[in-house]
Amino acid sequence: MVFVGVFAGITFGGYAHNLGGMYETMQADDENGANLADVWIDNRSALWTPEEVNSFCTALETAWESSSLSSSLDSCEGRTVTQGAMFHTDETGQHIINSLWHGIPDGANADRVWMPDGHSEGRTAVAADEIVIDAHVTETLELNLGDTVSIGAGNATAEFTIVGTGYHPLHVLFAPEGELFPSEPGQFVVGYLSDAGMARLTGEVLGTSNMILLDVEGTPSFDLPDTSEDEGDEIGDVKALVDAALGEAALDARVRDRGQNEPVEVMRQDLEGTKRTTVPFTVMIASIAAITIVLSLQRLVQSQAKEIAVLRTLGVKRSSLMTGYLIAPLAIGGLGCALGALAGPSGMNGMLDFYQDLVGVPIVERSVPTSVVLSVIGSTMIVVFFSGAFPAWKASRLDPLAVLSGQNEMRVGSNLLRKLTSWMPTTLGLSIRSSLRKPIRLTMTFVAVGISLMLFGSIQMMSAGLQDTMVGGLEDDQTWDAQVYIMPEAEAPVVDWANNNSASYEMIIEMPLGSVADADEIERTFTLVGLDSFETGMRAVSLLEGNAPTGNMTVPQVMMDEGSMTFLGWGVGERQTVNLNGAQTEVEIVATSTAELARTMYFLREDLSGILGVNATSVYLELPQGVEVDSALGEASMGIVERQTLLNGINSLLDQQTQIFQTMMYLGLLFTVVVMFNTMIMNVAERDFELATLRVLGASTRSLGTMLLFESLLIGVIGGIVGVLFAYGGAVGLAASFSSWQFFVPVTIVPSVAWQLMSGVILIAVAMTPFGVWRLRKMNLVEKIKDLSQ
Amino acid sequence: MENLERHYDTPAGVVKALDGVSFEIHEGERVILLGPSGSGKTTLLNCLSALDSPTGGAYTFMSNQKEGLDAVPRNNSEKMTSFRRENIGYVFQFFNLLQDLSVLENILLIQELAGKKDPARAKELLKLVGLEAEVDRFPGEISGGQQQRVAIARSIAKRPTLLLGDELTGNLDTETSNKVMEALVSACEQENITSVFVTHDEGLVKYATRVIRIDSGKIVSDKQTNNDSE
Repeated sequence: MVFVGVFAGITFGGYAHNLGGMYETMQADDENGANLADVWIDNRSALWTPEEVNSFCTALETAWESSSLSSSLDSCEGRTVTQGAMFHTDETGQHIINSLWHGIPDGANADRVWMPDGHSEGRTAVAADEIVIDAHVTETLELNLGDTVSIGAGNATAEFTIVGTGYHPLHVLFAPEGELFPSEPGQFVVGYLSDAGMARLTGEVLGTSNMILLDVEGTPSFDLPDTSEDEGDEIGDVKALVDAALGEAALDARVRDRGQNEPVEVMRQDLEGTKRTTVPFTVMIASIAAITIVLSLQRLVQSQAKEIAVLRTLGVKRSSLMTGYLIAPLAIGGLGCALGALAGPSGMNGMLDFYQDLVGVPIVERSVPTSVVLSVIGSTMIVVFFSGAFPAWKASRLDPLAVLSGQNEMRVGSNLLRKLTSWMPTTLGLSIRSSLRKPIRLTMTFVAVGISLMLFGSIQMMSAGLQDTMVGGLEDDQTWDAQVYIMPEAEAPVVDWANNNSASYEMIIEMPLGSVADADEIERTFTLVGLDSFETGMRAVSLLEGNAPTGNMTVPQVMMDEGSMTFLGWGVGERQTVNLNGAQTEVEIVATSTAELARTMYFLREDLSGILGVNATSVYLELPQGVEVDSALGEASMGIVERQTLLNGINSLLDQQTQIFQTMMYLGLLFTVVVMFNTMIMNVAERDFELATLRVLGASTRSLGTMLLFESLLIGVIGGIVGVLFAYGGAVGLAASFSSWQFFVPVTIVPSVAWQLMSGVILIAVAMTPFGVWRLRKMNLVEKIKDLSQ
Repeated sequence: MENLERHYDTPAGVVKALDGVSFEIHEGERVILLGPSGSGKTTLLNCLSALDSPTGGAYTFMSNQKEGLDAVPRNNSEKMTSFRRENIGYVFQFFNLLQDLSVLENILLIQELAGKKDPARAKELLKLVGLEAEVDRFPGEISGGQQQRVAIARSIAKRPTLLLGDELTGNLDTETSNKVMEALVSACEQENITSVFVTHDEGLVKYATRVIRIDSGKIVSDKQTNNDSE
């Protein structure tokens, strides 16, 4: 267990260290990095002319110069980022792939394409017909330098030549915009065009933008959404200047820092989560190791009590005895640490490889930091030392006279237990009393079993909740086959396509334009969703509490997802004032929705349309048998997502996560087995006196076996209950540490998981009975009689 | 027992712990086995109780429940245990009461294991050994002499044919030893139980009806005493 603790500590610690290094390398403001922007200013429903962007940047630079900001503004750049489609043909035919296109001017400062040596090819796009394809998909789609791809963005289709492959800091986790999970490989494409290429694709004037990127010298501190403090003073001042400059340039836009930019924030929280997991995970394993060492050494001391007494009688000093008993755990610890330190780097590389496969971004530089190794080994050895110190101290304090006269074996039974069990058959009563005879040891065992099951069960419980949330809503409540994204007011061609193909359609509005200050005055953003119906539409919404909103009320009725309600501390029936697309609006919360990972406020579409001035942002289609999305629909859209593809992507991600989870789960199960086995062996071993007496007095193996079985059952049932409680507590803690404003994980108690845990522990406990019976059969009664007479 | 042998193979050669021991014990006798350390008396007791298997000779036994002599099982742990359960009562030098059970429960447990649970008899036996006031106390709460008397009550609770004891007063002072032996004699006489005790304490001879002396694995004398059983 010491080995596993050190192994896990180094694996997790090294993994977190290298993962952090990967982000630093990618986001770095140097010639090798992509220079992640500090502020993103965007408005997807509007396009800004080059003059408007210049006017804003000039206003900002002027304001900056006269401000008290200590850092300088490195760049203010306009950029177009648009959804679209790639028309990809392979041996199975033509496929319309949901895509995102970036127009990045040559010589851009912020948010460049990251092209690490050995993991990317070619160069950035410069000419109007050149494109760099994100390296996440080149292999799956079999795209190579020099190939021509056909792409669109709600306008005409255009051909581009691939001149490079690379990565982008906003697309580490290769998920389509607005989604938290990556699509299946090849079902989502990101391409990096030049500004001229983007102008050619969209048919707009060169320099037209829907996004402005700001890069500030250094990295100004920004607010971390998963903390209650506001760390964003520095970026707050920048944003204040931006707001003023936007006003001056008469631009309407959303302003986000790194903490508010979802793809960046999700990965940061993932990294933080990994770092946070390292310590508790290692501590948990170390605690189990400590408990096991304490119990085992105590047993050793107990079994060697007579030898210790003889040594003490012969004049051996207490300190010598103590030193002797301290050497054993230190030797065990040293060996475990050495083996763990040797195996740790391969565990770390395994996890980094797994992560690399999961996100598709190379983790180029890998090293095991000495500080991680030293801190893991150091803390483990401290735990080992202290767990050995108590039994060693007890050994040195044994009274030789009491041991040799047998007085140390004498004790008075518990009157309470006698009263509680006196009505039972005596054998049963003895079983219960024997099991509970050493409450401290039993408690320690249960704590160790609990911690082991915390690893095993909490992950199972959280996974069940996660699965429910991620797949449940999409699978059970939604019936659409394809979601077609459109430019504002551009739904007509899609509706026509649906009518021509006998497909049902439903328009929805989905925009990340809501925000509200939480109790700590931190601005929390959420998505606004407008649906025609919450019960019978293509996207039904499960309600946790309340009733679906009614339309056309003076104060618009809305419902909000469970996560938002929890984080904001809101209740059904309350009226709240929120910021909807820049305007303070009062809404009435009439229901809480469930099965939603992202923070979402649901409106009836006509209400939301009135507030945002947008009729629809996408159209859901239910396709009749034999009808599939085609290029005509692709050209009319800004991207198409198919529900099955989305589900497959989530399921494949869950499958991958399950692999990590399963490793931890089985580790927990292994610990449970070891701890239970250790305790059961000790229980049987230290009852030799009792069992031998009963054997001499004629108790059959069967009746003694039944007693042992009952004891095992009792310990198993208590251990199982403790395990379920620990697992639930762990699941709540795990979900809390995973949960953030962006990503809310509810904990659902799945009875089958609880039963599984209970039966697992009982089974492990009962499985130890044959060992006890075997020991009974092997017992040499003549020798035991000698022992009993000494 | 006829020509009973218990030999051990050791690296130094064969050790003859019992070397052709023959004797008969009759119903109601109180036999004391006397001998110096290493004489083989405990080995003989172990063979008598079927804790150990002789390596040669015959050992037959007439149970209270049956008529006629039966060979005592050997080299079969379960059958030997069953033999002990049905026929043998055993008193240890260090009492070996179960610390988690009360005085009464210690007796009830043995009755229960033998399928003869009888709380009234258990209390009666405790009265017989003078411990009726201690029924609900734990062994750790009573004296060594009292514990040994509980052990005696426990050993006869299932009405064994033969009661055995190994140095059962070895851990007690003379006065307590006498009290324990008196309780034992009284219980055996009342319950008509045959008994064999191993001791090196010559002072206990007064409680026996027969004394067998053993040395180097052989019986050196076998004499009736004047302390006849009633």
